[in-house]
Amino acid sequence: MENKLLLSIVTPERPLVENKPVDFAVLPAYEGEMGILPGHISFVVQLKEGILRYREGSAEEYFSVHGGFAEIHGGRISVFAETGELAKEIDEERARQSYQKAKDALSMRGEDIDLDSAQAALRRAAVRLKIAELKKRRK
Amino acid sequence: MPSLRDVRRHIKSVKNIQQITYAMKMVAAARIKRAQSAILSSRPFAVKMEEMLADLGAELNEDDFKTSGVCDLFEGGFYSDSVGLLLITSDKGLCGSFNANLLKAAVKWLRENREKKIYCLAIGKKGRDFLRRLKNLNLEMEQELIGIFPKISYAHAEMTGEAVTNLYRAKKTAKITVIYNEFKSLIAQRIVCRDLLPLEMHIAGLPAKAVVAGKTSASGEKLRDFNFEPGKNLLLRALLPRYIKAQIYRMLLESQSAELAARMNAMESANKNAGELIDALTLKLNKTRQAMITKELSEIVGGAEALGG
Repeated sequence: MENKLLLSIVTPERPLVENKPVDFAVLPAYEGEMGILPGHISFVVQLKEGILRYREGSAEEYFSVHGGFAEIHGGRISVFAETGELAKEIDEERARQSYQKAKDALSMRGEDIDLDSAQAALRRAAVRLKIAELKKRRK
Repeated sequence: MPSLRDVRRHIKSVKNIQQITYAMKMVAAARIKRAQSAILSSRPFAVKMEEMLADLGAELNEDDFKTSGVCDLFEGGFYSDSVGLLLITSDKGLCGSFNANLLKAAVKWLRENREKKIYCLAIGKKGRDFLRRLKNLNLEMEQELIGIFPKISYAHAEMTGEAVTNLYRAKKTAKITVIYNEFKSLIAQRIVCRDLLPLEMHIAGLPAKAVVAGKTSASGEKLRDFNFEPGKNLLLRALLPRYIKAQIYRMLLESQSAELAARMNAMESANKNAGELIDALTLKLNKTRQAMITKELSEIVGGAEALGG
């Protein structure tokens, strides 16, 4: 267990991953992606919408996280995200639709749209699409 | 003396009611399991959140804190004569004294603050209707959230959290109090009335710092060397609203479970009462029927005797 990181990902609605030993993890940190290996310095980061992935042996797993925080301390990574999904839970078709919808909303630029939330929706959809793509490529 | 038909009709209607109460009890019982597991699965998140806030607070010094832009959320922020109330009730009735007790607590609170300007946020139909009925109060409805039970999600908590913080900041209320039912056990709920904002200092591990500066480092194990990205202030600014939302989420879940538990109990006793009523009515029915038969018999016998003379 010495060269493993313990990864936990929790969302308010359920814990996604609990104390899973992994070899390597990549977090979508606030100022860019951040790779974490065992023995990493203690760190607290804010996350943005993006892909969180980890490797365990030869198996690789993807998650989408949308905003949240991660704490790296003493061989443990605790991520708490407001929403998070496993790659296999993502529905590509739905992601594509919401991507289109968000894009339309942005391009219309009506008076009654909330620009921030529309942009956030667009970013979320983009992340989901990307994961869906990755999933396909791996197959 | 009611006729046989009346009694039969009465029994039938009570039986129908019993069927409904039984069904409602079963529905509540089935849902409560899910609600409880939702509380359980939200717990790790809350714990992690608190841990991180404490870590962050321990690393933060006074100046950082003052410039972080969130210190207005803490104690001693505003002094004004307006207050906020977040009232979490249920949408539906038939859950015993669940709402009645809540509203009683709300009345008490309103009476204490009747001199002040009151801003209200209502979650649940019962609370909203109650607040709307009030008169002679300097009351303003800020937000209402109806029909979110029993399917609440974090999105609802987010919405409410934002409304609460905005209200606090925009109207500079002295405090925002929340009144809700806490889920204590399947048979007991507890009314909780506490201040949501301003935040208490200790959640960020700050008083230890303010009082004895060397305390955390003296204990040794608490001292962790953390790096932060983005800076501590930005982190704190992003983290605190989420902390409030997580708290509200927990309250919503608690209230939901408590409502279901209250409904289960109320329906259970209603069911029992209906059973007793049916027993009593059946007894009455049988007595009436027997009395009628006896009367008819004696009439026949009397008639036969008169004829046979």
